[in-house]
Amino acid sequence: MSPVLTIASLTVREAVRRRLVAAFALISVVLVSLSGWGFYKLSHNTSITSGETGLAVPQAVILFMFMFSFVVALSASAIASLAISAEIDSGVLQTVITRPIRRSDILLGKWLGMTGLLAAYTAIVCSLLVGVVDWTSGYVPPDPAAAAVFVLAEGVMLLTLVLLLSTRLSALAAGVIGVALFGIAWLAGVAETLGAAFGIRAMHTAGQISQYLLPTDGLWHGAVFYLEPPAFVAQQLAGPRGEQADPFFTSTAPAWPYLTWAAIWLVLMLLLGLISFQRREL
Amino acid sequence: MLPARSADRAAAPDGGTRSPAVGAQAPGSPAIHAINLSKRYRDTVALQGLSMTVARGEVFGFLGPNGSGKTTAVKLLLGLARPTSGEAMVLGAAAGDRETRRQIGYLPELFRFQSWLTAREVLILHCRLLRLPRHRWPAAAAEALHAVGLAARAGDKVGTFSKGMQQRLGLGVALLGEPALIVLDEPTSALDPVGRHDVRVIIRELRDRGATVFLNTHLLEEAEQVCDTVTILSKGHAVATGTLADLKASRPGVRLQVTGLPVGWRQRLAAFGTWTTDGDWLLVSDMAAGKVPDLVAAIVSLGGRVEAVIPERQSLEERFLELLEHE
Repeated sequence: MSPVLTIASLTVREAVRRRLVAAFALISVVLVSLSGWGFYKLSHNTSITSGETGLAVPQAVILFMFMFSFVVALSASAIASLAISAEIDSGVLQTVITRPIRRSDILLGKWLGMTGLLAAYTAIVCSLLVGVVDWTSGYVPPDPAAAAVFVLAEGVMLLTLVLLLSTRLSALAAGVIGVALFGIAWLAGVAETLGAAFGIRAMHTAGQISQYLLPTDGLWHGAVFYLEPPAFVAQQLAGPRGEQADPFFTSTAPAWPYLTWAAIWLVLMLLLGLISFQRREL
Repeated sequence: MLPARSADRAAAPDGGTRSPAVGAQAPGSPAIHAINLSKRYRDTVALQGLSMTVARGEVFGFLGPNGSGKTTAVKLLLGLARPTSGEAMVLGAAAGDRETRRQIGYLPELFRFQSWLTAREVLILHCRLLRLPRHRWPAAAAEALHAVGLAARAGDKVGTFSKGMQQRLGLGVALLGEPALIVLDEPTSALDPVGRHDVRVIIRELRDRGATVFLNTHLLEEAEQVCDTVTILSKGHAVATGTLADLKASRPGVRLQVTGLPVGWRQRLAAFGTWTTDGDWLLVSDMAAGKVPDLVAAIVSLGGRVEAVIPERQSLEERFLELLEHE
């Protein structure tokens, strides 16, 4: 087994032994059970017309995914913040780093292990959600797999950024900065939507710049797009411009140049993390 | 002579930089060779021009008071930090070289293992990191557990271990793969007397199989019992280096019990050294080497009767304190 895979498997084993996986499983059961109950009530309420249900359920799915994307991002930030500095401070890394292993193997192994955990968590929750929504309301989003990939990508972006920060900062500082930047990026995305809807150029530009600096919100909009039924998109576009300012609405899929930039951004953050960790003295 | 290299390359923290000697681990080369190794952290000088050579197969004591730079030197030798200037070779390769680390066992002063792994799992993890053949992992782990007296706790989580047991496990991990060089940084700081005795036994066994042991300690008694040579470090630089016998014999003397000496003997024997009394005993210090028979003969020629002659040596502690006083 290569050193990267050794560290990755150690990372996964730690998550299992430290009951992170059990916590993920418990949260998933609670989330999906509550949402299943909610979707059942929404779909079987006689005071709501079938047309209204047809609009409410997709929006509820988007709201659920919005909340879940936060859970994924916060989980990514929490686990990545503990990856490097905390292990140096506790003395765990000193015993590993003096073995014939590259520091890049350690960092990439941890990244791979944590990304794998997030991917499994996202895949399981999204699959359960789609199943429960279909079972309770008969609704299936247009492309739930693509939406899940975008939610995961959003989490991996934050994970990579916090991993970079954790090569230099304490776990607390790295985690707090990561979560704060994630929140700021989301708010900037709202500003961009409002700027576009009402023609406020400065807000629109600031939001766009922010989406390039930290692509989490841009990727969230990708998830939203693949959860919206075409009829819902058409209705929003035909409505007053205030409806297009809805931060939970996106009329277009993310452009390939933007997705390419997001991939480059991810690789850049990983490279910076590798360089920073390589140069760090213990 | 060391191959010409830049100081920055000498100890790249990742060990990625390789010297021409890497991999060869030249058997004839010393285990450790440091030249003018210095480390500065902003305004603090942690190590100042340390030069030393540790021969292969010896137990080398690296002594010094707290804050003298011992752990900094160890970090530079293992490539955990970069020297500000100077260079070091370990087992014939640049300090911190990744492949050479396969031949080095290291017990850090402050460390922790993954608390959620069992003792056996920690050892298996390190077998894997050392790239030992898979079929050897169970036996290597069992041997290490047995050597450090943890065989009965092999399946227990490290998180349930006392500090002393963790230190025993750390020593077991350092022994994996039969390393040519074992660096022990304060290996007995958390151990009880039985544990300290066990560590001394292990160190002697390592020497018997030809390994080099670099023992970083502030426990002089420990060094006195196991080390062949020592370097004493103070304020970031070496103040003395040599075998224990050399260091302790630097001011030899003798303790005498004599009767029947005539009046004025002190003046006639003054040339042999500095005379003091301790109860019934006469102490002669600062003697020239090999002069004890001459001294005894001179006493007898004066009519004295020599009842007892005991050679006096400084303890390592006395010598250590004396050296630090002069700093």
